[in-house]
Amino acid sequence: MLSRHAEDLFWIGRYVERAEDTARMLDVTYHGLLEAGAVEAPTAWRELLEVLYVDEVFAGELSASPVTLYLLADKHNSGSIVSAVARARENARGVRDRISSELWETINRFYLELAAIDLPNLLNRQPYEVFQLVKNRCQTITGVALQTMPRDDGYRFLVLGIMLERAEMTCRLLSVRYTRLLRAGRTHDFHAWVAVLKSVSAFEAYLKAYRASLDPSKVLEFLLLAQDFPRSVVFALRTAELMLTHLVTEGSATAVQRPLGRVRARAEFCDIDQIVVNGLDEFLHLLQEDIWKVAEATERHFFQAGADLNLQSYETS
Amino acid sequence: MPALRSEAGPGFSEVFAGAEVRPHYRQLVELLDNLGADELADRAKILDAIFRDLGITFAIGEEGVERTWPMDLVPRIIPADEWTGLEAGLIQRVTALNRFLDDLYVGEQAALNDGIVPRWLVESSDGYQREAHGISVPRAARCVVAGIDLVRDEDGTYRVLEDNLRVPSGISYVLENRAAMTRVLPAAFGEHEVRPVNHYGNSLLSALRSIAPAGTGDPTVVVLTPGVFNSAYFEHAFLARQMGAELVEGRDLLVEDQVVYMRTTRGLEQVHVIYRRINDEFLDPVAFRSNSFLGVPGLMGAARAGTVTIANAVGNGAADDKAVYAFVPDLIRYYLGEEALINNVTTYLLWDADHRQQVLDRLDRLVIKPVAESGGYGIVIGEQASDSQLEDLRRLINAYPRNYIAQEVVRLSTHPTLVSGHLQERHIDLRPFVLSGEHVEVIPGGLTRVALREGSLIVNSSQGGGSKDTWVLREEPVGAIAAR
Repeated sequence: MLSRHAEDLFWIGRYVERAEDTARMLDVTYHGLLEAGAVEAPTAWRELLEVLYVDEVFAGELSASPVTLYLLADKHNSGSIVSAVARARENARGVRDRISSELWETINRFYLELAAIDLPNLLNRQPYEVFQLVKNRCQTITGVALQTMPRDDGYRFLVLGIMLERAEMTCRLLSVRYTRLLRAGRTHDFHAWVAVLKSVSAFEAYLKAYRASLDPSKVLEFLLLAQDFPRSVVFALRTAELMLTHLVTEGSATAVQRPLGRVRARAEFCDIDQIVVNGLDEFLHLLQEDIWKVAEATERHFFQAGADLNLQSYETS
Repeated sequence: MPALRSEAGPGFSEVFAGAEVRPHYRQLVELLDNLGADELADRAKILDAIFRDLGITFAIGEEGVERTWPMDLVPRIIPADEWTGLEAGLIQRVTALNRFLDDLYVGEQAALNDGIVPRWLVESSDGYQREAHGISVPRAARCVVAGIDLVRDEDGTYRVLEDNLRVPSGISYVLENRAAMTRVLPAAFGEHEVRPVNHYGNSLLSALRSIAPAGTGDPTVVVLTPGVFNSAYFEHAFLARQMGAELVEGRDLLVEDQVVYMRTTRGLEQVHVIYRRINDEFLDPVAFRSNSFLGVPGLMGAARAGTVTIANAVGNGAADDKAVYAFVPDLIRYYLGEEALINNVTTYLLWDADHRQQVLDRLDRLVIKPVAESGGYGIVIGEQASDSQLEDLRRLINAYPRNYIAQEVVRLSTHPTLVSGHLQERHIDLRPFVLSGEHVEVIPGGLTRVALREGSLIVNSSQGGGSKDTWVLREEPVGAIAAR
């Protein structure tokens, strides 16, 4: 398929997943702070901005309302949920003829819905509703894609985008929460871990897997390594690998498969206890860096055919 | 109440001869009468909803406001014998135009040397491209898709109003109009033998493949679009889908060693035929506008090297210039040794001092058109213009006589059209689409455009016109089918 179309689909996946995960992180931070002391709040909000790499550009007050509005509704913040949805729609528009009309309509409708809602007002009254709405609509989009798209390369690039973004965002979510709890000396705070698990819809799945013992390293293990839980890092990376095996012609894309295999193995075969001792933050950061490398390799290999050719001779002044 | 009735008005009436309904319209008129006004209004609403839901829109005016494609409920019918004549005339005209363009760009320029068309006129045309010299097109099919605008004068005689040989648009509406019509008036199709149009994508693909560079086994055809923000993007995507071809933008293509490739996820893939919907001057920033981002650097070089065919060919504007248009009947005589089967509208060229004076003397009774515009922009109808408009025009004509032509006013034929719930006579034209490849082929019918404003003669959709499904009937009389 055309590189441009593949790239558009890959980014639809990334932006939709980003919007959903941002909502999840806002949700867990917001509601986690309700039961915490007032002292904690500025630190918690700053850390959230940090994991989203917008701490330096955010100029407002470090409290719930300005940070939430910035990450949710600020059109000038390219990482905000409304920006992600707008970009997903722009990309979808470019491949409108390659995706099902249902998928296009679902994305378009969500975009229009967000534009029509008075977000600051609703956020003031019913923050839970807002986060729920975003999560719900993003899941609808991925669900519609799953149900209506033929399993061709286009679908695979879409899922690849979703999974790489998810793996990275789950790392970020873990680092924002775990690090903070660690610093606050609250790694054994039961409620805090419930909140983390709930933020990735993993609470019930975790309970089933571990029979109610809420141990921080078990939570970590579950969110990093669970083979059958769709939001775990390993699950996301494995699914990405599966997509990739169908995308490469024989032996052609080891350039992408190799870094992806490496990061998946790094996650899959890690020793959780050792990592907690050595520094989880560093480990998560390494995973993120590796995932970026996979995304870069994907760009280079699939989306930039011919970029290595020397076409300088055609440049005109 | 009768849904359809005769209305006296200027222009040939397509449906009525005096108080009588013409034979080929009798069944349709009866059907519409039986449906009644309320039912017609209901179906018109459904029709509008069909196009709205499909998102079939076009941009209107200078600001490019999007509006739903306006299709009228009442189809236009062309009987078989009438169409046979039109088809022959269109094939004849496009054949001559292909010959002329090929002669101009890769031949001896015989028509210019023999003084059939003044050389200076062709070479001063905006659409004439020096860059196209020496670039040959297999089968000399330079106008792969031509849209020839026809009108009927007061006597009902068809005449060519203008030729569109660059990137004529509208065919997607022909196909969508037909699809919508079968949904809102299915009964009408049962009573008529209407010739289908939905083979267009297949015919276009065959034509494009037939002009692939020599020796290409299984040619790859792409549709080149300026992108989603172009007003005709819907049509570009539609045609790509109909042909199963990739819809590419300039940035999807690159030229390496005079070969065109598209960037795919499996590497570079060679492209052999480009059906481009981008104007000449945006095709290649090396050859034309260096500030254009729509095109592909080096594309013209690849075409010249013969590794890729660009359709329609570059430089076709030299033949659809409105001043060159006046010479097409002469070109038909010159290249084919035949008289034109469909005549032009009487046209005056303004650089001749005598002609110019005669035109200026009766400017208020003529139509004045700028030679290089399309889409109905810049046309002045003398009798509807104010004195100051005519004064401005007079000055412009004297200053730039090459830039304008004058034509006698043609009272376009009229056809009943549903306007705010009532059937009213409105002026119409017809744009048939002619394909050149292995042979020259005309898609039955074409796009009938309607001037929705009462009395208006401007049918262009960019000027607020509507459209009709256009039916060409089969040879067989309807009675024979019923008897089978």
